Amino acid sequence: MTALLEASGVSKAFGGVRAVEDASLAVEEGSITALIGPNGAGKSTLFNCLSGFLRPDRGRITLAGRRIERLPPHAIVRAGLARTFQTARALTRMTVLDNVRLAAPGHPGEQLRNLLARRRAARRREAQVTEEARALLRLVRLEEHADALAGTLSGGQRKLLDLARILMASPRLILLDEPMAGVNPALREELLAHILHVRATRGITFLVIEHDLAFVMQTADRVFVMAEGRILTEGAPEQVRRDERVIDAYLGTHG
Amino acid sequence: MSVLSSAEFWAFVGVMAGIYTLFTLGLQIQFGLAGLLNFGQVAFMAVGAYTMAILVVKQGWSMWLAAPLGIAAAALAGLLVGLPALRLRGDYFAIVTIAFSEIVRWVATNEDRLTGGSQGTINLRGEGVAAQYNGQWERFQGWLGEQLGIGSKDVVMLLLVWSVALLLLWVAGRLARTPWGRVLRAIREDEDAAASVGKPVFRYRLQALSLGAAAAGLAGLFYAWQFGFFSPDDFQPLITFFGWMILILGGVGRVWAVPVGAVVFGFLFAATRFFDFPPFSYLDSADRAYVRLLLIGLLIIALVLLRPQGILGRRQEMVLE
Repeated sequence: MTALLEASGVSKAFGGVRAVEDASLAVEEGSITALIGPNGAGKSTLFNCLSGFLRPDRGRITLAGRRIERLPPHAIVRAGLARTFQTARALTRMTVLDNVRLAAPGHPGEQLRNLLARRRAARRREAQVTEEARALLRLVRLEEHADALAGTLSGGQRKLLDLARILMASPRLILLDEPMAGVNPALREELLAHILHVRATRGITFLVIEHDLAFVMQTADRVFVMAEGRILTEGAPEQVRRDERVIDAYLGTHG
Repeated sequence: MSVLSSAEFWAFVGVMAGIYTLFTLGLQIQFGLAGLLNFGQVAFMAVGAYTMAILVVKQGWSMWLAAPLGIAAAALAGLLVGLPALRLRGDYFAIVTIAFSEIVRWVATNEDRLTGGSQGTINLRGEGVAAQYNGQWERFQGWLGEQLGIGSKDVVMLLLVWSVALLLLWVAGRLARTPWGRVLRAIREDEDAAASVGKPVFRYRLQALSLGAAAAGLAGLFYAWQFGFFSPDDFQPLITFFGWMILILGGVGRVWAVPVGAVVFGFLFAATRFFDFPPFSYLDSADRAYVRLLLIGLLIIALVLLRPQGILGRRQEMVLE
């Protein structure tokens, strides 16, 4: 297996705080890889570096062999890596359908100049995008809310909307930042089923930050553990669970 | 009260409402659509008006060439401000725009060899010669009046400014409903979410700022044509906030709320001039001008309390989180 995403020696400091220090990880194509660690370990900062929301001070990041560490977020999405945020980001004053349609890649109707010259192409693509967006809303069972403003959705529904939107961007790799945080058990099962389904049908790779260790043990192929800005260890879930250093990092028994 | 029943006077009020419609349409694109807090819109109006006047008087250009150049200069000014300032987050961007608008006004005041200085456009050729940029426009206005059989210049102007305004409102309304408008709204809602699905936030903001600036430039042209003379004093920051009042009155995010807000504002502004009965008559006319602002301010406060979405806005959009 080859690594779809590879980070090596990534560091990011904020003033004197070394949030991420010489972190390296590899995410294999088609895998569900988990990134775990106690609060403040640097997981979210590393995510921000991987997705272009922060520029790392040092290190290289490659996606399918292509360097991406200096690209802005939108260019990284186009290269095939998309991310979610810890809290669902519903665009509340837009319809649920528009929330999803927004993410369509390569839409000529989004270019101002094409609205004069290539209106036909823009309309054709829009029809296609609308159909795809409705299919995705059906997948996450939000199709009845398609025309409602996204602000009327519940917290759980917003999680599902986030998922539909990110799928619309048709990435190869999705970074999920705590998808199970604040989610009730029924929705948890639903989200899990969606992730597995999407991996199986679309071949999408996942890198997931998650505190829900049951979820990690159940679904992850490989686990990276972060503590104090560094990658502490990596391995199969079973192996990581028994690692003394991981237990220490979480429980802090050895300071 | 004779002025109140004069068609000329109401035509003038209507012309000003039309100019403010163009001016505020720019703010609607920038703020209502893209969420940009532009507190310096009046600067782009000044750039449009001055560019046209200077090209006509100093370069001897045809007004028909100078006018589109004025709009282009305003759009370009939008790009120049946006390139550094749009990298800042919301409130910082707002501070830069208000500073920019004061810089433009002070440059216009002090660079008298370019702009005529504090004396205004009459001084564009230097002291002692009364400069005029408006001859071609007035001939056109007269000719059009003859064709239409309309004697009043103000009524001709009313037709012209509102024809242009309605056309642009229609275009802006269409644009807002395109996938392009959808990206702008997404950026307004949450720029990180928009970036996280592949939208180049900065470029879209730049486009919105520049288009809105062009609309202000066009408003500047009509302002210049209407009065035949202007000076840096006409571009006080207050004008920008009149635009914001209109935006709030009409409703944020709805293109067609702009003319509604502008007409309501224009008529309130004009009608309060005729408060010559007690208790207003105890004040002299200069003080009454302030009472008028006070009343409009109170009205906006009342509106924000009772109908925060504006006259045409959707309430639901105000209460969602």
